[in-house]
Amino acid sequence: MKENSLWKDAFGRLIKDKFALGSLIVVLAYALVALLAATGLVAADWAKEVGGSNLPPSAEHWFGTDIFGRDVLAKLIRGTQIAMSVGLVTSLIAIPIGVVLGALAGYFGGWVDDVITWLYTTFSSIPNIMLLISITMILGKGIFAVYIALGATSWVTLCRLIRGEVMKHKEREYVQAAEAIGGGHFRKLFIHILPNVTHIVIINTSLQFQFAIKSEVILSYLGLGVQGEPSWGTMIDDAKLELSRGVWWQLAGATLAMFVVVLAFNLLGDALRDSLDPKLKGK
Amino acid sequence: MKPLVLLVSAMWLVFGCSKENKFDEREINLISPEKIAGFDPINASDRYSGNETGKVYEGLFEFHPLKRPYELMPNLAESMPTVSEDGLTYTFKLRKGVLFHDSPAFKDGIGRELKADDVIYSLKRLADPKLNAKGWWLLDERLAGLNEWRAKYALLDATSYEEGIEGLQKIDDYTIQMKLKKPFPQFLYALAMPYTFIVAKEAVQHFGKEFLNYPVGTGAFVLPKFEQTSTITYVRNPKFREKFYPVEGEEGDDKLGLLADAGKRIPLVDKINVHIIVESQPKWLSFMKAKEDLIEVKDVNIQQAITPEKELKAEHKEKGLRLIMKPMLDVTYFAFNHEEPIFKNRKLRQAMNMAFDRSGFNRLFHENTGFEAQGPVPPGLGGNRKEFKNPFVRYDLDQAKRLLVEAGYPEGRGLPTIVVQTRSDTVARQQVEFFEKSMEKIGINIDVGTNTWPELVNKVSKKQHQMYTMAWGADYPDAENFLGLLYCPNQSPGSNGANYCNPDFDALYKTATVLQDSPERTAMYEKLNESVALDAPWVFGFHRTDIYMAQAWLKNFKHMEFNHSQFQYLNVDLEVKKQLSKKF
Amino acid sequence: MIKYVIRRLLYLIPVLLGVSFIIFVLFNLVSGDPTAVLLGKNATARQMAELREQLGLNKTLLQQYFDVVRSAFTFNFGTSWATKQDISQMIIQGAYPSLCLTLPAFVFATILSLIISLVAAFYRGKGIDLFVRIMCIAGVSVSALAYILFFQYFFAYKLGWFEISGFEYGFPDFVPFVALPAIIFVLLSLGPDVRFFRTVILDEIYQDYVRTARAKGLSEIVVLLKHVLRNALIPIITYVVIQIPSLILGALLLENFFSIPGLGGITLNALNSSDFPVIKAMAILSSVLYILLSLLTDVLYTFADPRVKLK
Repeated sequence: MKENSLWKDAFGRLIKDKFALGSLIVVLAYALVALLAATGLVAADWAKEVGGSNLPPSAEHWFGTDIFGRDVLAKLIRGTQIAMSVGLVTSLIAIPIGVVLGALAGYFGGWVDDVITWLYTTFSSIPNIMLLISITMILGKGIFAVYIALGATSWVTLCRLIRGEVMKHKEREYVQAAEAIGGGHFRKLFIHILPNVTHIVIINTSLQFQFAIKSEVILSYLGLGVQGEPSWGTMIDDAKLELSRGVWWQLAGATLAMFVVVLAFNLLGDALRDSLDPKLKGK
Repeated sequence: MKPLVLLVSAMWLVFGCSKENKFDEREINLISPEKIAGFDPINASDRYSGNETGKVYEGLFEFHPLKRPYELMPNLAESMPTVSEDGLTYTFKLRKGVLFHDSPAFKDGIGRELKADDVIYSLKRLADPKLNAKGWWLLDERLAGLNEWRAKYALLDATSYEEGIEGLQKIDDYTIQMKLKKPFPQFLYALAMPYTFIVAKEAVQHFGKEFLNYPVGTGAFVLPKFEQTSTITYVRNPKFREKFYPVEGEEGDDKLGLLADAGKRIPLVDKINVHIIVESQPKWLSFMKAKEDLIEVKDVNIQQAITPEKELKAEHKEKGLRLIMKPMLDVTYFAFNHEEPIFKNRKLRQAMNMAFDRSGFNRLFHENTGFEAQGPVPPGLGGNRKEFKNPFVRYDLDQAKRLLVEAGYPEGRGLPTIVVQTRSDTVARQQVEFFEKSMEKIGINIDVGTNTWPELVNKVSKKQHQMYTMAWGADYPDAENFLGLLYCPNQSPGSNGANYCNPDFDALYKTATVLQDSPERTAMYEKLNESVALDAPWVFGFHRTDIYMAQAWLKNFKHMEFNHSQFQYLNVDLEVKKQLSKKF
Repeated sequence: MIKYVIRRLLYLIPVLLGVSFIIFVLFNLVSGDPTAVLLGKNATARQMAELREQLGLNKTLLQQYFDVVRSAFTFNFGTSWATKQDISQMIIQGAYPSLCLTLPAFVFATILSLIISLVAAFYRGKGIDLFVRIMCIAGVSVSALAYILFFQYFFAYKLGWFEISGFEYGFPDFVPFVALPAIIFVLLSLGPDVRFFRTVILDEIYQDYVRTARAKGLSEIVVLLKHVLRNALIPIITYVVIQIPSLILGALLLENFFSIPGLGGITLNALNSSDFPVIKAMAILSSVLYILLSLLTDVLYTFADPRVKLK
């Protein structure tokens, strides 16, 4: 099969690219940490006082302790769970909406296309940050509002990309062939065309993930983010006051944790695009 | 493209250096930590808008800048008023020759003299139903006929200021008679607050909706137009009347150099720059770079300013900086919503008071500069007795646990998770997190609810909360202002956000608050303060300390709770500034 | 051509209606009651009821929706809840400082990114390319807050190269105030810009016409600058232009930390005081601007490149 070899090919290239491989491992490691934290296997007792207030990093506490004497590393791990879940849930909201709408618009054209294009033009007309602020402000605070806000903003790009790609594929021979053997619209769209545009979803998701993580930090800084749980955003927010006291480890820890995962997602996204996007083949 | 890049980078290199401090202008640089909404006195509800309004506008009275305990002195009024025997009728004499600032609102642009009509107009404006002033509560149910006037025009399309009011009578151009509905011993304090500062009718009418941006007052400084800039610049009012720096003050003021300018005509400087800096890092850094003359040291910066012994750090002393530390007239608290059934249980409230680790809190958030509040009334006001120690304001986990058993919630079993509402800024959130950890030790679960300030006010005023935390600063130096926080008729949306109701307390409060200041009243205040303290209507927090750092060249700054009128007395020593600047 | 422009203009209407609708749903249906906020800590219940009436909160939903739509066309946004200032005035006053900061920084960042991405594309696959890519990604992976806190402390305070905070009107007075935040702005935008530009340029490099040009014996630099860049310009312009509305918003955090009295600060302040009309106004304004600008770019293309077909 054609697709199979494409994927195999792409995967092969990805593995060979040391950066991409490294990034993939980093992302998987973060996912694992998040999973362990979510199931309570690690950092379940992040709220426990383990020492004095604002202790600098030591062998015992690698990233020191915070104002209440809690282990910063445990909070970082807990924050990883928040960050990854924000990325994941956002994608889970954005992908179905973006893919379905994009596919429908691209495939059917006509008034369906008009309506959907209108919808995403409308959404993309409101600058992201305004939409994020407005939604979280109105839904009240908490992680739920963050999910919704990020989901509502991130389906737009995906929708536009899928629409363009589906339009292209619609004219291709294999779709014409499917029509000849009598496939319905549904069959053509979901069985034949969609598998051929999955690479767009994958590339987009890896970039969307890091956008979500960074947005969570900004929202938490604005006081609109996660409540009652340590997130990287609230840790960085705390740091703006602590820094003048010479307490740098909480900022350093949260920045580092975020830096590594965002970097990994970016590199992975680039590598995925390079290996999955046929246009760039032969580079 | 390349030339452009070069140009832009060259531009940054040439201009990209900071400015040097100036030594030739008699100016003072101050910080406002919050944005200023506007300059309409009737809406100057927070301390910072009050401070700005007070540079341009004036009231009939002002607090003496040096004397403590706080003492009123006549300002736009010529003398203290005569009060009728029943304490209801006040007769005020106005100072002659007070001029409004020049403004296009007046004929020929020249400021005219302030007269009795202006005072009456300004007070009516505070009550105008169409304006919905934030300061209306101050006069609500106070002046005879004012509430009726307000109610009448609430239903009509436009408010008429022509209609006379019994409580506000003009005798002649310089004499006003005010009549109260019932005795209000704090009335004169009210006339020293920014809400009642005197505005000119012409200016209100001329500028209409934009009035809040064109302050036309009688004060020592002039601001022709307020714009939302990062610096508000006030210049000396060239036509300011003859007003002099006080010749006497509190004991010890002499030594502190606060009387060096005694008898001199004010203002002593030509210009005041107020820099609006919201974030704490730039605030601190600007002060340390001598861009600012005064800083209010808060939260984490306290640790950078003083040693654990509460002395100025050596590195600051070397630069000539001064430390000004004075207890504030305030109280912080975690209020229960007494309409919640669980909080009707006094033992539970007392247990929570005893489980709150105040010394830990004080260390983490106030660098040990707070004083544990025994009751609502802060030290320095009649009603606070030094010897009084609230037995429940004591950290004793065993006793707290016992009380919790007696309350019917052994180890916290049977209690729901209690949400404590607070502001969403970092420190506020951490403070409730600390409270949460304290309560955890006796088995009570607390959740933090964070809100913007308006959301918090909204929740409290609609009784949509279980607990909330707040700090209350005095509006005027009278215990009534604090005891009123627990007076039943003041419950939400009023200032009694705890919705605490206690008939005995209310009865005594009613009797006490209509009395003039006297030993008898002080005794009543003490009784009110102490009896309510034992009932634990809140988890009591602290009376905080105000900490300021001032540059050596800033003269005449004395800590003042009601400091909106204080800025006209400040001075700057340019010689000292020149010498010391090398150290920064 | 004119027909196209008109059609494109007409298309504005449904989009504007849509945007107004979203904003209406967000702010009028779901939002809270402002009266307690407006009246402060000592409000009476009666006063609150009076105010509700005055604010028009008793209007029907349809009327409220029309108010939103109208404000999108007239830019009359009413009065702020928190400051009682006229919102249009606030926006006009705040736009200047915001633009002083973001506009030069934006131009500089765009040009710099373009140069960097051309270099990277020229050396594609080599060490320099990799280095540039990693640096750009690394640059954006650090939170803006970390840059701000550190740069302000180090460059403005320790080294004293820049003003710590504040703003002055007029050129060149504002330069020492905006220089440092502008540098941070550039640093933060380099990453995404370079990544996008590089991708677009690489997309073009593998087109047939480039191969032809090379076959003609043109040097790689000439090919890159003359052919590739010209063709890559369209997506680049689109990308650049649609960022302009967010420039108007200023840079929220930068303005707050450097005390620049711009729209970002206004927005942040409105956020902290639940000042819905201001947030609403900022949302409407930036959306309208976005729509107009995307229209402008579309029209510009047709002049710049006759190959762009108008549909």
